[in-house]
Amino acid sequence: MTWEIVLRVALVAVAFLTLPLLVGQTEHKVMAHMQARLGPMYAGAFHGWAQLIADGVKFAQKEDLTPREADGPVFRLAPAVALLPYLLVLLVIPLGPGDLVGQPLDVGLFFVLAIVGVGVVAVLMAAWASANKYALIGGLRAAAQLLGYELPFVLAAASVAMAAGSLSLPQIVASWRPWWLLWQLPAMLVFFVAGLAEIRRPPFDMPIADSELVFGYLTEYTGLRFAFFLLAEYVGIVVISALTAALFLGGWHGPWADSVGWLWMLLKTALVAFVVIWLRVAWPRLREDQLQRLCWLILVPVALAQLILTAAVRVALQ
Amino acid sequence: MSIPGAGLGKGLAVTLKTLVSPSITQQYPDVAPELPPRSRGVIALREENCTVCMLCSRECPDWCIYIDSHKEEVVVPGAARPRQRNVLDRFDIDFSLCMYCGICIEVCPFDALYWSPEFEYAEYDIRDLLHDKDRLGEWMATVPPPPPHDPNGEPSKEETAVAKRAGTA
Amino acid sequence: MTLLDVALAVAGLLAVAGGVAVVSTKQLVRAGLWLVVALGAVAVEFLLLGAEFAAWVQVLIYVGAVVVLLLFAVMLTRAPIGPSPDLDRPLLPALLVGAAAGLGLAGLFAAAFGRLTVPAPGAGTAQKLGTAIFDDWVLPFEVLSVLLLAALVGAIVLSRRESTR
Repeated sequence: MTWEIVLRVALVAVAFLTLPLLVGQTEHKVMAHMQARLGPMYAGAFHGWAQLIADGVKFAQKEDLTPREADGPVFRLAPAVALLPYLLVLLVIPLGPGDLVGQPLDVGLFFVLAIVGVGVVAVLMAAWASANKYALIGGLRAAAQLLGYELPFVLAAASVAMAAGSLSLPQIVASWRPWWLLWQLPAMLVFFVAGLAEIRRPPFDMPIADSELVFGYLTEYTGLRFAFFLLAEYVGIVVISALTAALFLGGWHGPWADSVGWLWMLLKTALVAFVVIWLRVAWPRLREDQLQRLCWLILVPVALAQLILTAAVRVALQ
Repeated sequence: MSIPGAGLGKGLAVTLKTLVSPSITQQYPDVAPELPPRSRGVIALREENCTVCMLCSRECPDWCIYIDSHKEEVVVPGAARPRQRNVLDRFDIDFSLCMYCGICIEVCPFDALYWSPEFEYAEYDIRDLLHDKDRLGEWMATVPPPPPHDPNGEPSKEETAVAKRAGTA
Repeated sequence: MTLLDVALAVAGLLAVAGGVAVVSTKQLVRAGLWLVVALGAVAVEFLLLGAEFAAWVQVLIYVGAVVVLLLFAVMLTRAPIGPSPDLDRPLLPALLVGAAAGLGLAGLFAAAFGRLTVPAPGAGTAQKLGTAIFDDWVLPFEVLSVLLLAALVGAIVLSRRESTR
């Protein structure tokens, strides 16, 4: 029994360490080809497959700097706080039918929403402890953005939970039906967009905005601590993609789901992750006022309307 | 742009199209780049053609061509007096000053200077960029043959001149 | 003394220590961060006692939203790195009130529930909580929601600019 738990946690840790690198490498390559470039070609000889490993080695060699005026302990703690929530979230996302999940949790969806929200604290810690005005502005933007987008994020997730009649992620996936694709489409779009904003990916990278804020709340970070923040961003992509796939695209559902369900889940996650990368290449960054307007005037009303629709259909079906 | 969000879709379409079309990157150190025929890489010298008229040196905007010469007497059998001929002693181009305008090549009346696409002559010391006539002569081998005449274009000056002469004669 | 008891005690100590740090630190923003520790420890207590749903609500609402809002406000107004010299902290009355409230509550609870044994209610699942709220406690729930709605409307009215005239 304990062996099994150890094995599950170890497997999740492996996924935590490999999937983000996979997404990162895909981003390098997809972004390059979308810009008519080749991307990394040297590291690891074959099409630069080892580029991110080389990057990791480079980051590890850099000097670990803490600015003199910074609040040292908080500054040093922030990257860990940014990374940890996503690791915990990966534990409860179901990979395949039945028992193929890190830890089945009765309120898994709620757990995910709560833990993802903790990431804001890390951003605020990094922003304030850097003692840098760009970092502080970036942190304030991030906090405003994350607080705002948390609402449509939770509401859209609530819609699918209501449809499935459960808060447990494996059960939501199990009760998913193909026609939900249509029924929950607005919720899916809201969830995906809000999720993008939650992980501060372009076009929602106003808190980082490298053309105006240097690098936002990451300005003062170097070396491994910076790498942790980057890793957190890529784990964030994995988490948001996997959640979108599990909640709205049916997770492991597909032909021969009993044997290759996990493959379907991975495929769907990869597809959503590709879209995340695609949007980064194709779309410009939203301005701060557009960002808040999109959240409060479009996403929140749509999510509320979807909740009403979901409730109506649920009642009608019973 | 009447449909809201049409621009967003267009952005996605353009990037997707670029993704599936081959990229234009040339992997330079591994693969030699395909340069257009008129690439301005380096200036090559055909020493035999040079008459030391000094036009190139004088027209050079940043004075990077250095020419030394002396006169030699050539005894032509049957002529009344020996002829004088300019012999090139030194023809150096300082590529640390050269701005690759190509004026020297344009003004050369005897086709002694050519553009060569060769570009890998970087040096660690700026003084090593001063190349003498032997080095410039070596680059003659890399000068591509001139592109064929455009069949639909005007006939070349030489051809019209010949035709005119033949007509008047 | 089981492992659960030890864990409970540790989480409780952590919560109390975090609380003390909130009111004793001289650095404004760090007070907010210590609040995260205190509230997180309370969430752990909930988790250990089997109230899983309440624990994650605690994390979502308090750590993820309330503290963030608090930090946000502090950073917008003033957020010096290092100690703030002008904090108004009367030590003696605070100690008195804090100790009296803490010890008084502890004594009260010990006297009232010290001998009482209650059967463990089992894990607090979402379903149970939902049934409880919408069956037995539906009236207080509705009253509370009306109160929250009124507060929301009030906030909007107060923050609106007088630009219509």
